[in-house]
Amino acid sequence: MATQSLALLKGTLDLLILKTVSWGPMHGYGISRWIRERSGEAFRIEEGALYPALRRLERKGWLKAEWGETDTGREAKFYELTPEGQARLEAEAREWGRYVEAMARVLNAPRPAWAM
Amino acid sequence: MRRSKPGGRRGPIFDYTVAEDVDRELAFHLEMRTRELIEAGWDPGEARAEALRLFGDPKEVGMECREITSSQDRARERAHWLQALWRDLRFAARGLGRSPAFAAVAVLTLALGIGANTAIFSVVNGVLLEPLPYPEPDRLVRVREVAPEGFTLGRVAYLTYTDWRENAESFSHLAAYQGGPTTVLGGDRPLITGVAGVGADFLPLFRVQPVRGRALLPEDFQSRAPGAVVSHRFWRNHLGATGDLTDTRLEVLGFDLAVVGVLPPGFDYPNGTDIWFPLELFDPEPSRTGHNSLVIARLRDDATLTGAQQEMSALAASLSQAYPDHVHAGASVVRLHDLAVAGTRRPLLLLLGAAGLVLLVACVNIASTLLARGETRQRELAIRASIGADRGRLVRQLFTESLLIAALGCVAGLAVAYVLLSGLLRLAPADLPRLETVGLDLWAMGFALAIALATAVLFGLLPAFRTSTTDVSETLRAGGRGSAGGGRGRMWSLLVGTEVALALVLLVGAGLLIKSFWGILTVDPGFDATDVLTVDVTLPATKYEFGDPAVADFHRRLQTRLEALPGVERAGLMSSLPLSGSDPDGGFAIEGRPGDRCFEVPDRGTWCSVGSAGYRVVSAGYFGAMDIPLERGRMFSERDDAGAPMVMLINETMARRFWPTSDPIGQRVQTGGMDRYGVEWTTIIGIVGDVRHDALSAEPDPEYYVHYLQRPDRAQDATVVIESSLETGTLIQPVRAALRQLDPDVPAEFTTMASRLSASVADRRFTMLVLSIFAALALILAAVGIYGVVSYSVAQRTREIGIRMAMGAEPASVLAMTLRRSLGVVLVGIAVGGIGAFALTRVMRNLLFEVSPTDPLTLIVVVLVLTAIAGLASYVPARRGTRVDPLITMRVE
Repeated sequence: MATQSLALLKGTLDLLILKTVSWGPMHGYGISRWIRERSGEAFRIEEGALYPALRRLERKGWLKAEWGETDTGREAKFYELTPEGQARLEAEAREWGRYVEAMARVLNAPRPAWAM
Repeated sequence: MRRSKPGGRRGPIFDYTVAEDVDRELAFHLEMRTRELIEAGWDPGEARAEALRLFGDPKEVGMECREITSSQDRARERAHWLQALWRDLRFAARGLGRSPAFAAVAVLTLALGIGANTAIFSVVNGVLLEPLPYPEPDRLVRVREVAPEGFTLGRVAYLTYTDWRENAESFSHLAAYQGGPTTVLGGDRPLITGVAGVGADFLPLFRVQPVRGRALLPEDFQSRAPGAVVSHRFWRNHLGATGDLTDTRLEVLGFDLAVVGVLPPGFDYPNGTDIWFPLELFDPEPSRTGHNSLVIARLRDDATLTGAQQEMSALAASLSQAYPDHVHAGASVVRLHDLAVAGTRRPLLLLLGAAGLVLLVACVNIASTLLARGETRQRELAIRASIGADRGRLVRQLFTESLLIAALGCVAGLAVAYVLLSGLLRLAPADLPRLETVGLDLWAMGFALAIALATAVLFGLLPAFRTSTTDVSETLRAGGRGSAGGGRGRMWSLLVGTEVALALVLLVGAGLLIKSFWGILTVDPGFDATDVLTVDVTLPATKYEFGDPAVADFHRRLQTRLEALPGVERAGLMSSLPLSGSDPDGGFAIEGRPGDRCFEVPDRGTWCSVGSAGYRVVSAGYFGAMDIPLERGRMFSERDDAGAPMVMLINETMARRFWPTSDPIGQRVQTGGMDRYGVEWTTIIGIVGDVRHDALSAEPDPEYYVHYLQRPDRAQDATVVIESSLETGTLIQPVRAALRQLDPDVPAEFTTMASRLSASVADRRFTMLVLSIFAALALILAAVGIYGVVSYSVAQRTREIGIRMAMGAEPASVLAMTLRRSLGVVLVGIAVGGIGAFALTRVMRNLLFEVSPTDPLTLIVVVLVLTAIAGLASYVPARRGTRVDPLITMRVE
């Protein structure tokens, strides 16, 4: 559960955010709900942790934030991917793919001859 | 999730602060999460707690967020604010660009208002506010004697001064000084310039150190052949800027002075002085009755003005007990600066106030046009409001437009101020103190900027709020035509009425000054200044000893020569010309009449005066040249010379006041301390016409005239008057030549009696002209304002007028209806302005001459002019409204 995977999640939370926002501008609550639902509730992050992460990404220049209005006329802060953020997302996604691939290759490798 | 486009909505007026930004964002999350949980079936009360649990500690998260954002946001917030401002400015500029006529009128109106204020402020700042150019100028005071009757005597007797100096504790320095223009020999040419005899403390009091040579030393003050210091200006212009001062000597007032030092550039106190030497040269026989010196002092660091005043009052009281016949019982201590600007303060503040009223009229004008503009933009604004632009944002946008107008008005206003100021400086009376310090400096620019901002608030915020608070849906339904009636109509009436009232106040003020000035110009001064050339002639004391018969001889020969010149009709001499500022007067005694103010005169016993009168030394030609009539008796003749019995002429006022029932001719008078013949009996031989000597606005005082052949010592420093049948200017060369032939060492200064007359009313003319210009400005602005409002209301009611006319209304009755409405407002404005004028013009009482502040004629004329102009300003657009084809107007939407 969350407590065990926290270290891992901390590194990947940024990537999750960037990916989520890549579909279009979203407010914080929308991002958190999206991640929650798409991951099949697998990542049970403490929801508050999202916001400092958003702001760090904003400060790094990967996200752009602006106050706007929701479809129900509520005022909310929307986050949008910047071109730098887009590039970062692609690079990190590639990295993550290689990581997963490497992990999978190791984990799924057939039993070696010396262990037979 | 995201529906509106980026950049759509922001904070109410500016962006959120970091803390607000974080709080709002987290609150939004918690609220949405709670709602989601409720939708999922949670109990509303527990849903909130669950949302919080899932979130973690909002305080901690908030703090972390703030920390991350703060550092970066400080810079970003500023950038955002500037961006928003820039956007608003561009928006405002586009808006103004779409209606260039409105923009031009508004900017011009404001420029006139700001320009007038900035120009007057520059004068006020330079003359009244700028500190005197000496170290710690607010510690410098003048100390004066106060007579028991309460009037202040400018001058103090030498022994009183030394008593003050020894006893007063409140001052670190106290010095007497006296002087004025006189002949100076020893420079590059003989010339008349300012000299001053000063007490030992004088230069230390101003903390002035010579830039060359040495200061006056204690030895100088005990010597009969002391040193003198000169101004930097004199040293440069008349001593050839010599590096070596040894053997540089000047002859002043009969003294041979060694120049020992040069003072730093700029120092010339008292105004225009070039040479300073010990005061003691002036007062060889110190007395308690010769009130000859002015006293200046520097307050000790720990002394206050009130403390010094108390000390001096007590000191004067004890001195007057010790010398009851000689010393007055009071003394007054006044700051040097207050004294320097005393006569100028009120007129200048009056003008500043008037300029303020002009600015108010300008503001009201712009406010009413902005309001009209807001009306036509109602639809645009209503749409913007309906798509979610909030009120604060709209106010900000409209206000930015006002700020832009104000900024442009400020720049244009500085240009106007520059032009106005150079005009003002040319108009300003030459004796306006410290005029040289006046200029468009940083203070003036700051002032212009400040009033521009203030006016933007004044004329911008009201229409901005009014326009933005209009009911959106109603405006849209009304088809954007706006409703001219109701509150808006009342608002306009108020604005127009205000303009009219303000203009009326200014017009009444100007009217009163014009009437006063006219009164002064038409007052009979008692002499005829036409074609009279005046020549100041000062015989150098080094060549003509005090009381030397050569003085009288010089003038006798000069007059013979002058009268022989072609074009000269009559010539004469006078010791103190009318309106020259010089007015020696003193007590006199009448034979056989007991006096009430008595003095001990050495060797002569007691001498008592019966009254005081002006003392003038003249030749017979003076009365001819100035056309002053001899009413009765006989004129001076050449036979009334030093060997003959003393004679005098008196003026009508003196005859009336001192001989109300008897004939003064043949009576004998003693002239007391006025000259060394004070105890000789002088016979009155005739009565001459009154002359306004002090000022055209002042009633004549008693005066008597004695003959120069009998009082040569007072003819040493005199003015020769020449009545000419030619252009006065053409006489200058021949007169100069005649003087040079008599004595090349005698300097002469030429001017005309007419220009002296004109200079004597220069300050009144200045105040009157400037106030009249302001009143005219206010009148024009008010007319423009009325014209604009009536034009607009006619345009708004085009449909209504069209319907009326289609239904058979006569153009005349439609016209009458419009005029009635606007003139009604004008009349209310006039009534209110009348009350304001009544209250405000009282402050000008002492600037008026033979006109009451509530002069009915002025008021009537002003009301008629204002009504006529306002009527015209309403009539022109009202008439245009009736000229339109009814069919076309009805189709207009």
